[in-house]
Amino acid sequence: MSLLVANGLTQRFGREPALVSVDLVLDAGEHMAVLGENGAGKTTLLRILATAARPSAGRLEILGLDAFRERRRLRRRIGYVAHALGLYPALSALENLEFFCDLHGVDRSRAGAALETVGLSGSEQRPAATLSRGMQQRLAIARAIVHDPRLLVLDEPDASLGSDAADLLAAIMHDRTAVLATHDHALANRLCPRTLVLRNGRSVGTATRLRVVR
Amino acid sequence: MNGLRVALAVARKDLRSEWRTRELIPALAQFIVLALVIANFGFQIDSRSAPMIAPGVLWLALVFAGLVAFGRAFAAEREQASLEAMMLTPASPAAIFTGKAIAAAALLIVCEAVMLPALTLFFGTPLNAQVVVAVLLATVGMTVLGCLFAAMAARVRARELLLPLLTLPLWIPFIIAGGQAVQAAMGLQANWDEGIGLLIDFDILFVVLTSLAARFVLDD
Repeated sequence: MSLLVANGLTQRFGREPALVSVDLVLDAGEHMAVLGENGAGKTTLLRILATAARPSAGRLEILGLDAFRERRRLRRRIGYVAHALGLYPALSALENLEFFCDLHGVDRSRAGAALETVGLSGSEQRPAATLSRGMQQRLAIARAIVHDPRLLVLDEPDASLGSDAADLLAAIMHDRTAVLATHDHALANRLCPRTLVLRNGRSVGTATRLRVVR
Repeated sequence: MNGLRVALAVARKDLRSEWRTRELIPALAQFIVLALVIANFGFQIDSRSAPMIAPGVLWLALVFAGLVAFGRAFAAEREQASLEAMMLTPASPAAIFTGKAIAAAALLIVCEAVMLPALTLFFGTPLNAQVVVAVLLATVGMTVLGCLFAAMAARVRARELLLPLLTLPLWIPFIIAGGQAVQAAMGLQANWDEGIGLLIDFDILFVVLTSLAARFVLDD
């Protein structure tokens, strides 16, 4: 069954098209990488898939629901790692996650488990501001999984992660549908059987395993 | 119930962050004390003029302290991109807004706790329950309006300019009604009950309107 169906997703900022008529179908449990140069439209597409932005045109259904009419319901089922980490620097890693547990309406005990998954179990009490960039990235990833979403939307989550990035991402993507934007073709090839390549906001094709044509 | 839980979580988070960073309260408290010192030297104050001048100074200091407090409430969230992270949860925008407003109101009340005794110290005006009630009631309405416009203004670059332009005209009713109540509480010829009644009416009106508008302002 298709978990995500996008038809003709188009996004314009003023006259500038950032995304032009992108179609996408993802089955439950499927992983897809989104590749493209800077400015190709990866972040725009991922923001739409995460319901963080409305497209100028096109339709998006997630779990059979209209992603924009039902976005609050769907947000229980979506985990998003954005470019900007959006952490609270004065709060500890654990407090950051417990706060988002409260917003998601899930038990706070999940915060500790999420920190353990991303390898931050020794740093629960450290303020987010004192964590290294890589640790902050891990905390943002933990926040994206703390409510156990079915769809993960990951915008360059490997940034600053270090050598175990692929293992960590594989662990959080396991049993979930995931869309992963990255510049690391090897990582995309390892984690995602399917690839969507964007150029100037247009899809230049999808492929199974990576054969990127420039 | 869930909305209340979210609102309290947001308020707790904001107050905890402020407690740890102490970004706002010390600066606002200093601003308020300085404003009162300047007003004290700037006006010819004696026992007759003090009750006439003090309410105006009080509302001026409160208005400008409020603008700074409410502006930071949402600007900080925008700067650290955490507002979007909050909005991408199933929590209702109205509950998130309520939490932000509760925290902003609490910060302003702390400033008022500095300002009212300082006003008594510098101007010799009475500090009684009637003054406190008037200021607290005005704080409710001013906070919800200030937070709503702060959320709107946080989206634009010229937010420091836009926030006062949007907020000050709609705060005028609170300043008029609150001023009337405070003048009466300080012994001038004014009707305290009427001022308080108006403040309660304005509070109800703007709390309802802003909670309805919050989802359109916060959620794209």
